[in-house]
Amino acid sequence: MGEENKISPIGPDLDVYAANLKSKFCLPVVGQSRDYGEGPLLRMKLTDTILKLCQANSLWPMTFGIACCAIEMMGTGMARFDISRYGSEVFRPSPRQSDLMIVAGTVNKKLAPVLLTLYEQMPSPKWVIALGNCAISGGPFKVKGNYNIIEGADKLIPVDVYVPGCPPRPEGLLEGILKVQEKITGIRHPIPQNRHPKSPLKKVKGLRVK
Amino acid sequence: MLEPEIKEHNRFFLNMGPQHPSTHGVLLIVLEMEGEYVLDPQPVLGFIHRMHEKMGESRPCSSFMPNTARMDYVCALPYNHGYVSLIERKAGIEVPKRAEYIRVITSELNRVASHLLWLGAYLLDLGAFTPILYTFDDREHILDILESITGSRLTYCYYRFGGVCQDIDDKFIEATRAFVKRMRKRYAIYEKLVTKNIIFIKRTENIGIVSPDMALRYGMTGPNLRGSGIAYDVRKNEPYSVYPEFEFEIPVGEQGDCLDRYMVRIREIEQSLRIIEQALDRLPDGPVRSKVPKNIKLTPGDCNFAVEAARGELSYYLLGDGTSTPYRLKVRVPSYSNLSCLPELGRGILLPDLVSILGSFDLVIPEIDR
Amino acid sequence: MVKDTKDYKEDFLNQGFDATETAYDQRGYHLEVVLNVNQVRKFAQTAYELGFYLVFVTGFHVRPDEGHDTGNSGLEVVYQFARYDQPYRIKACVSVPNSLEVPSISDIYQGANWHERETRDFYGVVFGGHPNLNPLLLAEEDADFHPLLKEETNLKSLHEVSWPSEAPEVAKEGAEDETGR
Repeated sequence: MGEENKISPIGPDLDVYAANLKSKFCLPVVGQSRDYGEGPLLRMKLTDTILKLCQANSLWPMTFGIACCAIEMMGTGMARFDISRYGSEVFRPSPRQSDLMIVAGTVNKKLAPVLLTLYEQMPSPKWVIALGNCAISGGPFKVKGNYNIIEGADKLIPVDVYVPGCPPRPEGLLEGILKVQEKITGIRHPIPQNRHPKSPLKKVKGLRVK
Repeated sequence: MLEPEIKEHNRFFLNMGPQHPSTHGVLLIVLEMEGEYVLDPQPVLGFIHRMHEKMGESRPCSSFMPNTARMDYVCALPYNHGYVSLIERKAGIEVPKRAEYIRVITSELNRVASHLLWLGAYLLDLGAFTPILYTFDDREHILDILESITGSRLTYCYYRFGGVCQDIDDKFIEATRAFVKRMRKRYAIYEKLVTKNIIFIKRTENIGIVSPDMALRYGMTGPNLRGSGIAYDVRKNEPYSVYPEFEFEIPVGEQGDCLDRYMVRIREIEQSLRIIEQALDRLPDGPVRSKVPKNIKLTPGDCNFAVEAARGELSYYLLGDGTSTPYRLKVRVPSYSNLSCLPELGRGILLPDLVSILGSFDLVIPEIDR
Repeated sequence: MVKDTKDYKEDFLNQGFDATETAYDQRGYHLEVVLNVNQVRKFAQTAYELGFYLVFVTGFHVRPDEGHDTGNSGLEVVYQFARYDQPYRIKACVSVPNSLEVPSISDIYQGANWHERETRDFYGVVFGGHPNLNPLLLAEEDADFHPLLKEETNLKSLHEVSWPSEAPEVAKEGAEDETGR
């Protein structure tokens, strides 16, 4: 009975599983359709800037709360922390209608195909926030004898912003959203009236801010 | 339960989950549907299986504390309570009175927070967006109070073997009393907004009736069982900690439908507030932690400890082997047994009724999957 | 809120089960029953008729005894029952034979359905008569991987994880003394 039971080695075996799974899905290669590298035929700087401004100010997250961090994500959407003042007014349940995926929780061997399917179903351009230690690296479950946890969502999908914490405070998630906005547009508060009165405005090429 | 006409060409399979807009967690229910009627719901678990029991037996017993909070993160302090009480029972450690009172106060506050979150999430499932904003606001007050002494908002690791981690101060006591007063005034809002709402009543009355015999066969506990008329509460049945010193009632329902389970939980909030008040009035002075050896050796033999979590009876079962690492640690979670009755309960019902039943069971999937 | 407490030990002894009372403050349960594989279903039926509810079904892995005539596999299945109206907990323990088969009680207690599936996932114990033994918590491709089985170096014998017995002559019965009186 003992010889049939083989405790699978940690780390390498699950990484191999994750890599094999990734190859079955069609994920965007970096530089294609996410970064506008090869994207549209005609690129005009002004429309680009305006488009990025619009996208950054209306990031609609998809509800993919898996575990404990999901409660903090819900708390961020509620009255005290209010994510909707940054544009994420609605949490869309359907991946077809969202452009930000917040991976909030531990990714399992059984959950990995689900995560990849949902990521594939989101239309480009899309961004990913890895919320919490489990989504970054496996968190408190990255132990010797691990047979089930994929150590980090970035083994499966490309992640843009990592928000550490177990669970991170709602302010941490808000900071993550601001970082995504900064990644898209290059400035921290794309709508000037959202910024804190004392924080400095950064000047960026192509966007004249008064 | 309604009997649908069997028309073969209208049958199909529908996947409910594992990503769906309610907040129960990652649960997949494969529904065999006949038009709008559900013929056979089969839950599929395992999407958040995080090897807690394996971790429990591969590290010393004091390293398991963070795991207890992550099993049921909405109501983490009773989970802490069960585990530390288990080790204390096994190793024969005495807990000072003040520490027991603090444990009861914080556990009951956490129970109130959990019920408030359940209320908001349940009504969000039913389509009402306003109540969740109110309940989360109340819950944030509790989280502020608990954060001032435990240091975390959600996954608490506050209890230690032999007591609690740090003492409470006057600010905590004042804030808790103010919260109790505030919560009692909020009842009027919930009464008007929810309980007397005709849509809510129509969606919950006579839906998902659980008979006492069915509850016994499935091993259901907690508010789901009390909604069916059986007054079983571990705090009264097998009293632990200092619960025998407090006066509180056990609310029971009559029929066992979703409305009864809702009423049981609402009235449980009031009973928890009563316990908190009594505990604050009688809080003794003294140390909050007794001296325990750094390495607690677990003597050979097994041990069991049951507590009342927000969702039902939580039982820890431990096998010791003479070292400080448990040989086997089994956690019996309430939502496991509560959910297992779904294939029988959900036969022949409408799909929106299934959503209402799932919401009223108050499930937290990571604790089912452990 | 305990109305009237009844001792159920006699009901189980009359049916021929090996039941002993235990110290609740020490162990957390009131009655301890040692079962044979053939007695499992009768025990579950008795418990159901007396009004107990099933708390859990689980297992643990110990070093198999050499020289025991049924050739046990080293796996033990533990059942726990309790009552709604008074505090009374029963722990029942079964030694799994080499064939890894234990009769299922999921037609008497439907709640055991999932508990037995989980025990099969973790330990490989096959419950005879169970309607559906698919993996519950593990992925389908891991159906033969039993994570909670211990490695050879970590295994301890049943004697090392049981309460020490007070009466020395009872301990001489060797493998029969599963839990220590």
